[in-house]
Amino acid sequence: MVTKSRLKMALAHEKGVDFKKLHQKKVAKQASKKKQSKTGGAAKDGEAEEWEDEEEETKGGAPIDDEDDEDDSEDDDEEGHDVAAYLDDSASSDSEVEMEEKIARVRQPKQSELKQKANNKKAVAAVEEDEDDDDEEDPEEDIALEDLEDLSDAEKEDLVPHQRLTINNTTALEMALKRISLATDKSVPFKSHMTLSSVEPTADNIPDVMDDLKRELAFYGQALETVKQARSLLKAENVPFSRPKDYFAEMVKDDGQMEKVKARLIEEASAKKASAEARKLRDLKKFGKQVQVNKLQERQKAKKETLDKIKTLKRKRAENSGDLGTHEADLFDVGIEEELGKPDKKRGADRSGDRPNNKRMKKDQKYGFGGKKRHSKSGDAMSSGDLSGFSQKAMKQGTKGKPPKTARLGKSRRNAGKR
Amino acid sequence: MGGAYKSLNGSEKADPASANGPARKQKSRVLIVPSRGITYRHRHLMNDLFAMMPHGKRDVKWDNKGKLYGTTRPQAPAGLHGRILGTDIGLTELCELAEMSNCNNLIYFEARKGQDLYMWLSRVPNGPTVKFHCQNMHTMEELHFVGNALKGSRPVLSFDAAFDKEPYLRVIKQLFLQTFGVPEGARKSKPFIDHVMAFSIADGKIWIRVYQINETEAKAQTEDGETEKSSSKNRTKETDINLLEIGPRITLTTIVLEGSFGGPIIYENKEFISPNQVRSDLRRQQAGKHNARSEQFVERLAKKGDLGLRTHGGKKMPTDALDSRELFA
Repeated sequence: MVTKSRLKMALAHEKGVDFKKLHQKKVAKQASKKKQSKTGGAAKDGEAEEWEDEEEETKGGAPIDDEDDEDDSEDDDEEGHDVAAYLDDSASSDSEVEMEEKIARVRQPKQSELKQKANNKKAVAAVEEDEDDDDEEDPEEDIALEDLEDLSDAEKEDLVPHQRLTINNTTALEMALKRISLATDKSVPFKSHMTLSSVEPTADNIPDVMDDLKRELAFYGQALETVKQARSLLKAENVPFSRPKDYFAEMVKDDGQMEKVKARLIEEASAKKASAEARKLRDLKKFGKQVQVNKLQERQKAKKETLDKIKTLKRKRAENSGDLGTHEADLFDVGIEEELGKPDKKRGADRSGDRPNNKRMKKDQKYGFGGKKRHSKSGDAMSSGDLSGFSQKAMKQGTKGKPPKTARLGKSRRNAGKR
Repeated sequence: MGGAYKSLNGSEKADPASANGPARKQKSRVLIVPSRGITYRHRHLMNDLFAMMPHGKRDVKWDNKGKLYGTTRPQAPAGLHGRILGTDIGLTELCELAEMSNCNNLIYFEARKGQDLYMWLSRVPNGPTVKFHCQNMHTMEELHFVGNALKGSRPVLSFDAAFDKEPYLRVIKQLFLQTFGVPEGARKSKPFIDHVMAFSIADGKIWIRVYQINETEAKAQTEDGETEKSSSKNRTKETDINLLEIGPRITLTTIVLEGSFGGPIIYENKEFISPNQVRSDLRRQQAGKHNARSEQFVERLAKKGDLGLRTHGGKKMPTDALDSRELFA
């Protein structure tokens, strides 16, 4: 195989120019021939014969012969085409088609001919193709093939209203596949193609294509499965797989792009964190308010209790006030302290919060307290500092959220009402 | 860094040469051609794909509009070649272009109407050619994925099992393999394998995803110091793999497949509906709503006229004897 290809290459290098000229000559000859006998199918037949001849030659296995159509394109660019490579392993059919194609391309100015040519080629290469097309005659000749195309066209027109014409020419597909396929089986090292198929179709894992998460997960699963296999295969073939940490080279995404991605990630993370914190604060605030209210209530309760106790004490004092000694005040004080269990200092503060006596209250009720009553309902520091009734959500929502109680009529109807 | 690679690669390098002679290299190049009128997103997508194809070659925008390939070509004999694929885009000429630039594969991104993108994949000397409609395109930049790969490293190609089921899918698989797969020893390719290109089939469409292969140290380590030692020893083996998506994302709908240039169409997707069709249907639907409404309006007017409720036109009501206008006339 290899030696053959080498030989071919060498020959190509040697004879490249000659072959080109020869080739062109041949082409010109053919063109003239064609012109001469353009009237009937004779030209086609002749041509076909010619091609067949050439094919036979190539099939005959003379390596130089099938070289001459190769080197047209390949004398200057062996590295570009893997055609030579395919030539080695794929059958001679490859070269056949190639040859035909090449010539067709050279003769491009003659377009009609090209088309006939293409058709010829089809006739040669795709006799099988059309056989399995469901409703067609046996394409034995070129003309028959053309007719067949005619038919299929008419059919198309007929079918369009009902249904799109389905073309699925299995044989032709198989042929095309055979022509181009690279070996991906066990016979070649895995590293040459690095292609793997999953065990089961991915679509089975996708219940609903519109469900992005499940779908992407299925794709991911497929990729992961094959990658795991691929890694073991590649490791077995001693191919360096994982990139070392210190291997720096140009990446698909440049640093600027990665920086952007990173910045975005950071931003996302920080936004998440900030929102979590804000929520925590909000909760705390809510809770804090509750605590405050509780505390106030407690304080009030405590105050009430102490006042009650003082009252009872006073009553007691009043009951046995007859024999009061010189230390009356001291005794009174001690009594209160014992009852309350509170230090002496606080008493002053407590008293300031006390209500005035009943007489005073009565008088206040009767004549008014004396102080000013104006602005009593206006806001002060306390009331304006109280945000218990405030909700940010409601503020942001505005009045848009709830519909107005009575819809405002349109202008015309309002004006109609006036008249 | 080079040393690391050399040490890894050095022993291996001699291997294949001795084992099976001078290794035959699959030589393959891909010409990537955009059409005139692609949008920036199409272009970015193309560049993303190109970035991952060291064996690719970009060409300038292909202007198929001024050249009229379809019309200058003499008409084929009646009935012959009712439809030759790619005449309207000058596929044959594109093929020649590819050949001139030593490429045996061709990707042609054809934009239509500044919004629809079609991707043609073709083997150059003699087909087959497949035409896809690209949807759900997302470029690398848009997607903000954290994955990244060496520029020019060879991808593992992961195919859905469904690709082996039908012949046309097998042909498409081969085309993908040969265009997107980087041939071994391609000129600008880099040594390590750090990304995977996944082709899946769902909903009758081909979905392409690209992931980075991220190797992390295995988490499942036992508690002893001894095992830790051993784990450090075969660290190369005991790694977990996870994947990070790199981008881009595309969904391809197969439209047609042609056996060879200028040849017959050998596969056509019945389910494909052209985006133009979709758009026009939508428009028609919208128009239908308005038409129905205006029809209703006319009908109502006619009905009113019939009942004699209109001041102008329509039937007049017969004047009743007890009508106030009659009574007090």
